[in-house]
Order: sequence, then structure tokens, then C-alpha cells
Amino acid sequence: MRDPSSVAAVTPKDALRTLIAEAQAEGHAILDIYRSDRGPTAAIWRPGEYTVHERELGPGPFVRPSQYGVLGFFALEVDDERAGWWIGEYPVDRVSGRGIHVMPLGPVRADVAESLRYVLTVFGDDIHHVRIVPGYKRRHMEEAILRQGVHGGVRVAERVTGTSPVAHAWAYAMAAEAALHLVVPAPALLERTCLAELERLMSHLGDLAALSAATGTITAAADLYALKEKVLRFNQARFGHRYLRGRIAVGGGTPLALAPLGLASFADDAGREFGLVRGALDHTTSFLDRLHGAGRLRGGAGLGIRVTGVVEKSSGQSSDLRWSRAYGAYSDLTAHLRPVVVESPDAFGRYRVRVEEVLQSLEMLKSLGSRTELQAGAPTGESLGTGFGLVEAPRGRLFYRVAVRGQDVTGVRIATPSSLNWPAVPVALAAHNILQDFPIIDASFSLSVAGLDL
Amino acid sequence: MLYPRWLYHFVRRPAVGPYPFRADPEALARPGQVLRTTRQFGRSLAVRHVDGGSSNGCESELSLLGSPVYDWSRFGFGFTPSPRHADLLLVTGIITEAMVPHIRETYDAMPEPKLVVAIGGCAGGEQDYFAGMPGVIGDLGKVVPVAARVFGCPPSPNDILATLLAVVEAPAARQAERLT
Repeated sequence: MRDPSSVAAVTPKDALRTLIAEAQAEGHAILDIYRSDRGPTAAIWRPGEYTVHERELGPGPFVRPSQYGVLGFFALEVDDERAGWWIGEYPVDRVSGRGIHVMPLGPVRADVAESLRYVLTVFGDDIHHVRIVPGYKRRHMEEAILRQGVHGGVRVAERVTGTSPVAHAWAYAMAAEAALHLVVPAPALLERTCLAELERLMSHLGDLAALSAATGTITAAADLYALKEKVLRFNQARFGHRYLRGRIAVGGGTPLALAPLGLASFADDAGREFGLVRGALDHTTSFLDRLHGAGRLRGGAGLGIRVTGVVEKSSGQSSDLRWSRAYGAYSDLTAHLRPVVVESPDAFGRYRVRVEEVLQSLEMLKSLGSRTELQAGAPTGESLGTGFGLVEAPRGRLFYRVAVRGQDVTGVRIATPSSLNWPAVPVALAAHNILQDFPIIDASFSLSVAGLDL
Repeated sequence: MLYPRWLYHFVRRPAVGPYPFRADPEALARPGQVLRTTRQFGRSLAVRHVDGGSSNGCESELSLLGSPVYDWSRFGFGFTPSPRHADLLLVTGIITEAMVPHIRETYDAMPEPKLVVAIGGCAGGEQDYFAGMPGVIGDLGKVVPVAARVFGCPPSPNDILATLLAVVEAPAARQAERLT
């Protein structure tokens, strides 16, 4: 036990800063800080390891990371029921002076866009400073999961981000299964892997189509949207839902056999069509010129903010969980593939990563179709009522912590890839870009606001 | 170089689905609830979308309406950036209190005649997961007068298109009746 007087001298902010400094020195990632039965606890994970460790923080003051993630910007909040939900501001200097004006954009903006306010400080056409104001669509997802119980919670998790329900359902199920000590049968793991890759394919095709539309390349946008619709119809025909909802259940459910689904021929067809569009786009200078240098994360800013997923891979580094954690059927699937890494932290790099990942997902789907048994099963460690789920969602690393007592869920924490990546958007926007680049940069990140306003 | 792609599409038959001129196995998976229709609109319909707290799924389906498979512009529909030009307002999501003033403001900014369509089970008031949550209204009808509701989570683009055509009693819908 520490001396109470010395504990009182440490502010919550200092305690968290010390923890973060230690984690950075040792190469850990702090996924979550929460109150467990044993007091304040941190969930700590070393990239490359399968298990997530719990670490008790001692009787110090309890801090809760902001919506932006622990290692994002330091918008902290003392755990106080009265504090409620609070939106942190970015610690960026304000810009003022003659000729500079503030341009609010949103929450009603663009053609089809989610509710979010951008506060752009501009000088003529140049964007000098950007602030993001979320909070318009908070739906209390974590509380909604608590209400539904362990087995019903997966249906709510599917609705956190509508375009990546499989990743959310899988991460939730993985956490709940670890907490309940359930071993998932191999056919269920195979089906989940197949669903996750179909979802990645669908999500990336939609993002690429939106990027083509933002650059005015409407022929390619039409082709890519049609291809996305093809994937959605395949999902509907084979799995009963366009966005693959309702398939994943805690404990495994009733998985489908993948062999008779025709995955290989579908992946062949889709790959041929995608190859044609991609080949055309790679030779369209009007498209590529708009991407090069737009929304560049300068001087390793992306890695400093600890972005994840597509944004991280375009910054020349990959911590893709399919390789580093090898959950589900990925230990076999990823054996002969390498994670995509591109050294170009701008819109072009993000386009490049998405294209390569689409091709990779198609490869994986082809080999999944001919697979009947799974080699490596997922180990389940010792559980103390709290389980962790780490899954590579289409947009990056997705983390769930689920605490279970009986059939009730007593605690949930969701850290979405979008919430980790949003802090990089203002930095990328206010880096020598003009207003005309704004839709392109927005589309190149393609983050969901639903994943930020949980 | 997208000209070869453009030419390829030019000589090929259109990618658009058979709906509404013939039955599409996916069309009308779940018919929407139409409360009010009008014939006041002609062949050009400007549509404004507002997200009232959705999961992003409805947005994904709405963005597919402009794709060659659904091609809603053949009926005169198109998204407009300004509510001042909008005839139809599509609202998605669970309707949070934070979005209520913005939905009302958008509605007030639209010129008459104007209609509101609730897209998805959340805005239609049949989503129970969020009932009673602080700051969640749960039904678009409590905020602005609703002309139609499209259910589903998310509703398929065909369902959305079918309901929109029914609401405005578009010439295409009448033409489809003549054809069949």
C-alpha cells in the first residue's frame, strides 16, 4: 500500500501520463482504463501477442480516457458521474489575424454524410486550422449493450457502425467468450473469418467509390458502387443479410459450411472486374493528381498520434491484427501473404492501401472456399470475468472489453478504429491544403462518425 | 484513362435492375408505410439527407441509390447540398436531441411543397435498443411531419426507391402501372 498522502498529491492527469510514458518505453499499448473488482485497472497489450493483460493501478485516483482514445490527444476526464459525457478540444493553437475567418461546416453537410461539425479556419482558400465537434449522434451504445445481456448484446454491437457489423460482433463475441470461458468451434471461426473478409471487401469498395466520386471520376465511382452492390447481393443470397448481420452469436451459433457457397468463383469474378477499374484508375492522371500530396500527415504525425488501419499502413508501418494476433482462421490465411505497407502518408497512400487490401481479401476468400478444417484453434486464457476482443476491422484495430457476471454484462468499453483515427484528420487537413481538397481528404480517411459518437 | 470503361458501358446493356417495371426478387422486401402522397412534384426532385443519429448503414444504402444498379436519377431524383432547393427530406437514425434543432432548421429552410421520409427502423420508431436512453427521441414523427416510413435495418435501396416513388406518385410509377 502506498502512503495515502503521496497518492493525494498525484493528479489523475499525472497518473495517466506516467502510465503512458511507461507504456511507450516498453512498447505496450494501453487499450482501456477501467474500474474492476480490484480497483482501477488498465488493459495492456503488447503488439504481436495474443493475450491482453490486466494491470492493477493501485489505489491512486481513477482517470478515464476521453472518447479519442488513451494514446490520442490527451483530453482527460476524471471519473465522476456528474461529469457525464464531455467533448475534449484539441490542444492546437488558435489562429487569428487579418483576413482569417472561421467557416463552420455541418452537422448538415455534403450529399450523404454523417452528422459532424468541422470548424475550418481559412485564409482565402488555404485551410489553416481545423477543429472537429462530434457529439451530435451519441446513441449510448455501451449502455444499450448492458441492457441486452451477454447473448443479446451482440445484436447491439452490430449496430455500432453499420458498415462494419461483423468486426463489431466478432470483437464483442470474442470478449464475451473469453469472459465466459467458451471455446468456439472451428466451423464458426471459419465462417467469421469469411464474413470479416467479405465485409472488408464491401467497405473498401464503398470507400474507393466515394473517393472516386470526390475527385470527379464518376465512371470509376459508378463501376465501384456497382461492384459493391454485387458483393452486397452475394451477402444477401448466401448469408441472409446485405451487411452480414445476425450470423455471429456468442459461443459460435450455427455456422454455415463455406465449401458450397461458391466463394472462389465469386472472388474470381469480382477480382476480374475490380482489376479493370483499378487498371483504368491507375492510368487516370486527373484522378491521381488530386490524390498526391493531399491530406499529408507530415513528419510522422500519423505514427505520433498512433493511428490505426489504413491510415497507419499508409504511414509506412503496419500492426495489422490478422498477422500480429492471428485470431480466427488467419494463422493459415496470412501465412503466404504480407501486410500491406505503403510509404506515402497522403490520400494517394490511403488509396493504394485500400486497393491492395481489396486484392488481398479476394485472395483470402478464394482460399477460404476450398478450406474445410481449421488448423489452429484460438486459445482461451484464464478468465476473471472480464474478456477482451481485438479484431482488425476494415478501418483498423477494434477493441472490446466485456465484463460478465452470470448472464449479465456489467461493463463494456468499445474503442473503435475511427475514434483512434479522427484526431489525425484535423492535422492532415491543416497541412497546406485548400478548401477544394477537403472532400478528397475526407473521403480518403473515410472514417465513421458513428464509431466516434458511440 | 477511363474512356475504354465508358465505351464498354455504352455498348453493354444497362446495369440497372428491372424494378419498378418488372418484379425484382429483392424489390419490396418490406413495403414502407406511406402516410401522405402528392402529385405536386414533376420530374425533377431535389433530395436533402440529414443524419439524425444513424449507424452509418442507412447512409451506405442511400449512397447506392445513385449507383448504376438503382440509378434513381432516371426518375428525376438527385441529392442537393442546400435545403433551399430540396423537395424531399430524408432523415436517418435514432433522432438524438442534439440533432432536433438541425432537422427542424433544415425542414423550415425547405420551400413548399415539401415532404419528409423517415429512412430505417430507427427513424421509423421501431428500434427498441435505444428506447429511454437520455437524449434519444426515437421517432422522427415527434419532430417533423412525416409523409412515409421505410423500415429495415438498413432498408434496401429498392425499398427506399419504391417508397419514394409511391410518395411522389412519380410519372414512372404510373408508367409502370400502364406497362403491367
